[in-house]
Amino acid sequence: MSEAVDIMLTVNGRSHHLRMPANRVVVDVLREDLLLTGCKIGCDQAVCGACTVLVEGMPMTACTTFAFELDGRAVTTIEGLAEGNDLHPVQRAFLEHGAFQCGFCTPGMILSVVALLGRHSDPDEALIRQWLGANICRCTGYQMIVEAVRAAARLVTA
Amino acid sequence: MDGGTSPFRAPVTALDGPDKVTGTAVYTFDISLPGMLHAKVLRSPHPHARIRAIDTSRAAALPGVAAVVTGADAAALPDPYYGVAIRDQPVIALDKVRYVGDMVAAVAAIDEATAYRALMLIDVDYELLPAVTTIDDALADGAPILFDKPVGGAPTRVGDASVSLKEPRANVLYEFGYANGDAAAVLAASDHVFEDRFVFSRINHFHLEPHVNIARVTRDQIELWSCNQDPFVLRGDIARIFGRPANAIRIHTAFVGGGFGGKSFCKMEPLVVLLAMKAGRPVRLCLSMDESLLTLTKHAALLVLKTGVMADGRLTARQSEIYLDAGAYSDASVTTTIKTGYRITGPYRWDAVASRAYAVRTTMVPAGSFRGFGGTQASFASESQIDMIARRLGIDPYAFRRKNLLSRAEPFQPGDSPIDSDVPAVLEDVASRIGYFRRPALPAGVKRRGWGLAIGLKDGGGTGNHSLALVKVLTTGRVIVNAATVEIGQGATTALCRIAAEMLGLPLDWVRYGDIDTDHTPLNNGTHVSCATAVTGLAVERAAEDARRQILDFAAQRLGCAAAELVQEGWSVRRGNYAHPIEPLIRDYFGGAGTEFIGRGSVKIDFDPRAPMASPAMFWIPCWVGAEVEVDTETGKVEVTRLVAAADSGTSINALACRGQVEGAVLQAYGQSLFEELRFDGANPVNATPLSYRVPLASDLPTHFEGFVVEHGGPGPFGAKGIGEAGMLGVAAAIANAIDDAVGVRLTQIPFTPERVLTALDAKK
Repeated sequence: MSEAVDIMLTVNGRSHHLRMPANRVVVDVLREDLLLTGCKIGCDQAVCGACTVLVEGMPMTACTTFAFELDGRAVTTIEGLAEGNDLHPVQRAFLEHGAFQCGFCTPGMILSVVALLGRHSDPDEALIRQWLGANICRCTGYQMIVEAVRAAARLVTA
Repeated sequence: MDGGTSPFRAPVTALDGPDKVTGTAVYTFDISLPGMLHAKVLRSPHPHARIRAIDTSRAAALPGVAAVVTGADAAALPDPYYGVAIRDQPVIALDKVRYVGDMVAAVAAIDEATAYRALMLIDVDYELLPAVTTIDDALADGAPILFDKPVGGAPTRVGDASVSLKEPRANVLYEFGYANGDAAAVLAASDHVFEDRFVFSRINHFHLEPHVNIARVTRDQIELWSCNQDPFVLRGDIARIFGRPANAIRIHTAFVGGGFGGKSFCKMEPLVVLLAMKAGRPVRLCLSMDESLLTLTKHAALLVLKTGVMADGRLTARQSEIYLDAGAYSDASVTTTIKTGYRITGPYRWDAVASRAYAVRTTMVPAGSFRGFGGTQASFASESQIDMIARRLGIDPYAFRRKNLLSRAEPFQPGDSPIDSDVPAVLEDVASRIGYFRRPALPAGVKRRGWGLAIGLKDGGGTGNHSLALVKVLTTGRVIVNAATVEIGQGATTALCRIAAEMLGLPLDWVRYGDIDTDHTPLNNGTHVSCATAVTGLAVERAAEDARRQILDFAAQRLGCAAAELVQEGWSVRRGNYAHPIEPLIRDYFGGAGTEFIGRGSVKIDFDPRAPMASPAMFWIPCWVGAEVEVDTETGKVEVTRLVAAADSGTSINALACRGQVEGAVLQAYGQSLFEELRFDGANPVNATPLSYRVPLASDLPTHFEGFVVEHGGPGPFGAKGIGEAGMLGVAAAIANAIDDAVGVRLTQIPFTPERVLTALDAKK
C-alpha cells in the first residue's frame, strides 16, 4: 500500500481537499472520488488521449498523472467547459459539424482542441492534424473533427 | 434520384450530441452498482497446452477476494460453450488453452488491484502442446489437432446452389462453397486465365471503450449491463449457457464507445455472470486494451483467384479458394467465411463462378466480425486482380471495369437481388475527383505518382434479418422510439427518431430514443451488417404509421366522424376548417395519466433457397474508391496524396452522419492498408498493447481526404439503405492499384509497408 498524501485540487473552479494513496492517478480521483465520469479511460497508457484534461490550459493525460503532482493546481474537465447551458464554442462546433460518433474520445478531444485554440487562435490544417495526433478517434476519420476545429477557431475569434 | 425530394435535406444535430460533447453521456464503462466487485482474468501465456491442474487456494485466501472461477466451475454449467452457429468457445478454458491470451481463471475482488494480485497467486500446471500459427501449418498432414472431437452447433443455412459444412476435416472449422455454371469448362475455353494469390493481414477493432460488463444475479434473474452490440443475441446465449428461461435474463444497454464488430455476439459476458453467481454480489469486468487486443481480430486470410478473360477484355469465369484464419475459436467465422466466399466475384458479370472458402483453426487470437464481414478480404483480392488483369492485357483499368460491371437491375448472381446502385456512374465521378482522366505523363524521378481505382461491394442488411419496433406517442405528443439497435456511434438514435418524427409529422426534438432493456425493448438480431436504418428503420416506420392510425381513429371517435375526414397537423387534427388539439381530447376521455398510443412495427426478410445465401440481399453496399499515391523509390514509403471514397445511402436520413460513416470506415481501411497490423512472432503477439499497436492518427490523414454520399434509393424507410460498412471496402485495392500505376510493382499482401514496397522494387530490377 502506498503512503497517504493530502492534496488540494481545484476542479472546474471548485476546491477539494483530498487524502489519498500517493500512487492514485488523476483519472481515478476525477471518476471515482469526484464522480466526473466525462473523463474516459481508453488505453490507460497515455496513448489514446481519451482521458485528456486541462491543467491551467495545458492538456494532460489523467490516466498517467499522479494526483499529488497536481497539488494546488486547477483542473478543467469536460463537465466544467460549458457555462450553465451555454456550450463552449468548441462544443458547439463539434455538435454542428458532426465531429463525434461513439463519443468516447470526444471529451478528451474537445479539451485538446480548447488547449490548441488557447495557444494558436487560427491554426492551419497542418497544425490541427499534428495537434490532434495526441487523441485517437477510431470512428470519424478525423476530417469532420478538423472542420469543427476550424469552425471553432472562427467562433472563438468572432 | 439523388434525393431531391427527400424530407431529410435540412441538417440536424445528432440527438445524442449534447450529452456526448458535455461528458454526460453514460456508457457501460461509467455504470456502477452498489456492492459491486471488480474482476480480472488470468490468461494463458502458451498458445496450446493442456491444463493439468489449477491451484487457486492462495488466491482465494487473499483478503478482499470474493470469488475465483476456473474451468471446473464452467464445466458444471448446462452448456458451457458459445459461438455463432458453431459453438466451440468455452466460458473459460475447460481442459485446454488454444491461444496466448485464452482465459484460464478469473477473480472477483473488492477492487481491480486486489483482483490482479490474486491472479499472481494462481498456479497453473500446463502440459505444453505444439502451436499451429499459420493456415499452412494447420492444414499440413499430421498437424496438431485443436479440437479432439466435434464441437456443438450447426452450420448456417445457405441456398440450394451453396454448400455449408461444419468441421469437414481436421482443423477446418467450416467450409462454404458456391457454384454457378461450369467454371472449369469456361476457364478452359477462355483466351487468358490468370491465377493470383493475396494475403490479408490481421487487425484489431481498437474500440476506445474497452469490453466492459457488469453482472448481477439474484434467485430469479440474471442481469447484465453490457457493452455488447447485440443485446437479444446475448440474452439467448446467457439463457442457454445457464439453463435459465430467457425471460429470467435481462440485458441493459447504455451508449457503446465503439465496436466495429468487436463487441458483437457473446464473449466474456457469461464469465462475468459466473463470477457474480459465485460471489453473490454484482461483478464488473472491464478488460484493459491489451486484453481487448487479444479478444478478437479481423480474419487474416489467404485468397487464391483464378480468373478467365477473353482477348477483348470480357471476363468469363472465376474460381476462388479462400482460407480464413479463424484463430482458436469460431466466434463469427462461419458468417465471415460465407460472405467472403460469396462476395469474391465483385460487381461484375460472369458466365460461371466457383468459390470455396474455409475457416481454418489456428492457435491465434479468435477472429470474428469486423465491419464488413469478409467484404474487405474479398474486395482486396478481387479488385486487385481485376486491375492486374487489365494491366496485363494493356487495357485501361477504368475501361476494363466499365466493360464488365453489372448494371443496375442485373442480379449479383442467379436467385439474388439486383444491383441497386448506378455503379458505373459513381466510378466515373470518383475517378474524375482524383484526376484519373487527366493523369499527367511524369518524368521518372525518385518519387513516382500513380492513380488507382477500386469498387468494393457487399450485401447489406443481413441474411433473412428481422426487427421489431415500438413507437409510443404520449398524451402531449411527445414520442418514445423503442428498438434494440444499439447507439454505437453510427447515429442510429437520430436516424430512427427522425424517421418516426417524419412519419408522425412531429418535431424531431419531441422524439426520444428509449433506453435499451431486453425486458421492455422489442427484439432485433443485433447491431451489425449495416442494418439499423434499413431494417430496424423500416420497423420504426411501420410502428409510427400504426401509432398515427390509432391517433386518427381515436380522434375520429371523439369527434364523431370518420378517420378519413381528419388530417393530423402537429399535435392537432384538422377536420375541414377546424383544428382540434389532440391533448384535450385525450385528457377529456382518459383523465388521470392520459394515455399512450403504442404503434407496433416489424420487418422480416424471407428466406428463399433459390438465393445463394438463403435470402436475397436486402440491398447492396458498393464503395467506390480512388487513390492517388506518391511512392518513394529509394525508401519504399507510400504517401497517399488523394483519397476519395463514395458510398450509397439510398436516401440519407442524416447526411452528416452518413458522410461520417464513410470517412470513418475508409480511414480504418487506410490504416490497415499502409501500416496497421496485429503482429506475431510465431504464436506470441509482439504489438498487442496500445503503445505499440498503431492505429491511424489525424496526422496520418491523406493530404486530400474526401468521403461523399450518393442517394440511389433503397428498400428501407424513405428509400434508405445501410452505409456503415461501405467505407471498409475497396480502399486497400485502390491503393495497391495506384502503387502499381506509379512504380509498376504489385503488392499482394497488406499492409504496404516500405519494406514490402522496396522488396518488390528490388525484385523487379
